[in-house]
Amino acid sequence: MSSQPPLLRVEGLQTHFHTDDGIVRAVDGVSFDVRQGETLAVVGESGSGKSVTALSLLRLIPAPGRIVGGSIQFKGRDLLALSPAEMRSIRGKEISMIFQEPMTSLNPVLTCGEQIMEPLIVHERLTRRAAHTRAIEMLELVGIPAPQQRVDEYPHQMSGGMRQRVMIAMALACRPSILIADEPTTALDVTIQAQILELLNRLQEELGMAVILITHDLGVVAETADWVAVMYAGQVVESCDVRSAFNRPLHPYTAGLQASLPKLGRKQDALRVIPGNVPNPAHFPAGCRFHPRCPVAIPICTTDPALLTIEDRHLSRCFRAEEIARGELNPVPAEPAR
Amino acid sequence: MSVGNRKGVPVSPILEVQGLKKYFPIKKGLLSRTVGHVKAVDGVSFSVAPGEVLGVVGESGCGKTTMGRCILRLIEPTEGSVKFEGREIVGLPRREMRALRRRMQIIFQDPYSSLNPRITVGSALMEALTIHRLARGQAARDRVAELLTLVGLSPNHASRYPHEFSGGQRQRIGVARALAVDPKLIVADEPVSALDVSIQAQIVNLLRDLQRRLRLTYIFVAHDLAVVEHISDRVAVMYLGQIVELATSEDLYRQPRHPYTVSLLSAIPVPDPDRHRQRIVLKGDVPSPAHPPSGCRFHPRCYMAQEICSREEPLLREVGTGHWSACHFAEDAVTGAPVSRPT
Repeated sequence: MSSQPPLLRVEGLQTHFHTDDGIVRAVDGVSFDVRQGETLAVVGESGSGKSVTALSLLRLIPAPGRIVGGSIQFKGRDLLALSPAEMRSIRGKEISMIFQEPMTSLNPVLTCGEQIMEPLIVHERLTRRAAHTRAIEMLELVGIPAPQQRVDEYPHQMSGGMRQRVMIAMALACRPSILIADEPTTALDVTIQAQILELLNRLQEELGMAVILITHDLGVVAETADWVAVMYAGQVVESCDVRSAFNRPLHPYTAGLQASLPKLGRKQDALRVIPGNVPNPAHFPAGCRFHPRCPVAIPICTTDPALLTIEDRHLSRCFRAEEIARGELNPVPAEPAR
Repeated sequence: MSVGNRKGVPVSPILEVQGLKKYFPIKKGLLSRTVGHVKAVDGVSFSVAPGEVLGVVGESGCGKTTMGRCILRLIEPTEGSVKFEGREIVGLPRREMRALRRRMQIIFQDPYSSLNPRITVGSALMEALTIHRLARGQAARDRVAELLTLVGLSPNHASRYPHEFSGGQRQRIGVARALAVDPKLIVADEPVSALDVSIQAQIVNLLRDLQRRLRLTYIFVAHDLAVVEHISDRVAVMYLGQIVELATSEDLYRQPRHPYTVSLLSAIPVPDPDRHRQRIVLKGDVPSPAHPPSGCRFHPRCYMAQEICSREEPLLREVGTGHWSACHFAEDAVTGAPVSRPT
């Protein structure tokens, strides 16, 4: 734990979509810090707002969406106050991003090399020849065999794992200080996922960058993250170091999510269950958004809880977090009756 | 291969698959000449006891989905035999096959695309009853209400359309549709992979509950090993169109006897930050099923491959009681297995 100011500090971020059917509060109160060289995992289910959060950091929100509140402090500057031109100098250079499905985010009519060269020519003003050499180096760095030949191949000539490596090469070409990885391994098979996670870990160590990993997979979180921000219905509901998130969750949602996973090599009869459905972003419940599904909800939970520090660097958005912390309340769903 | 029920007493299998193959032709050129074959399923044999849950795991392209569909003849097998309750179904005339489908049903991965968006859930369930002449009129409506209750929905959901439901609820409807015709065998093809984590457990519990109450037999196809272990009595691991290992789920996870299973198990990220394991990271990608490697199909990626592995194809053989492995060195795979060991 370092005492230096965080590289990135997000506070009270709100991104709303103004649709004909009303306002969709996709992101509605997201705060977290990202420190140099560390990995923050943003965990959540579909509709929790984790991907919109990632896009908001780069100000890539498509209409009718708009960032309507909060601040994003990066190296002492508020990204939300920058001009579009200033923002462009940050995207792909200081902060870059990789996506879930590499085939849809790579341009099919350009060679992989061209796509890695582009940010180098734009941001670092390299000549084409120099950029081409760097592209080959980048492919080598991400572990693509025979990079000299691969550099001139098109995305369709590569496998899924290979394409994700090209995406990573592209994102890291300008040595960004933050890499945002939005479900980088979800579309991949588990043996290929292991390769990509190992690659990301190695590159993070070598390049000293910070990683924001957006994922729904708690296994991936446990194996790669230093810090965790758990999102539910557009809000961060818990934020802490990775060990506390798994060993000592202070929010019933975090606790329930873990309890509902089948554990390898530990046969259980029935799985514990969070009842109900994941709420639709257009109709989030009033008050604590988790209260209709919460096993320990009380009347006060129909009002809005704040994200508060409960223990050292451990925040929870739950009225009963203190009781959970003192061990007076078990937030885990009960074992289903047989 | 003999099968036993849960207590190991031999019983006659509900399903027997022998040498099942499915080759898809690769066509090229103006005259669409067949230039090769994708060997999606290449010689698969196993049997399933009544009331058993057989899990099938493997990565994309290993043929697990094609195999599931060949068993129901939703895809016509190229070769091999599938016996359901002792009766050969490969080559059975369409009409007889249709009657038999009542006994064997499928649950699909994506509840969004497997329900007709234009008809109400009630009509969709009713359709199954009418086609198989199981019930009509009020009796059919009662049965629909009963089915919806069975899967944890409410009878008044019958008048709603699929888009009015969440993903988890739609999968419940998919389950109700399969159960409508009172089947014995259900092929569940990735039934929870499209669902959110907090919803997966609900559906897994539902499937398990129904299996016990209705004494169903499942073939549970999935890529998530933790889910498969949880629900299955036995598990088959597939690689490039073949079963490479088959064992009870306890044995498979505790003592894998095929290096592919060992690496698959070690590759799964475990949701426990205090557990640091030695991970076997396999090199390279899964080869194309159009050109499977010679000998053992896994040998180019295998960490314990020897010279013999590229020459001779290993057969699936029994290496322990009820534990089958297709590896020349299955005995060594046990001792050399660096799986789930904290460092």
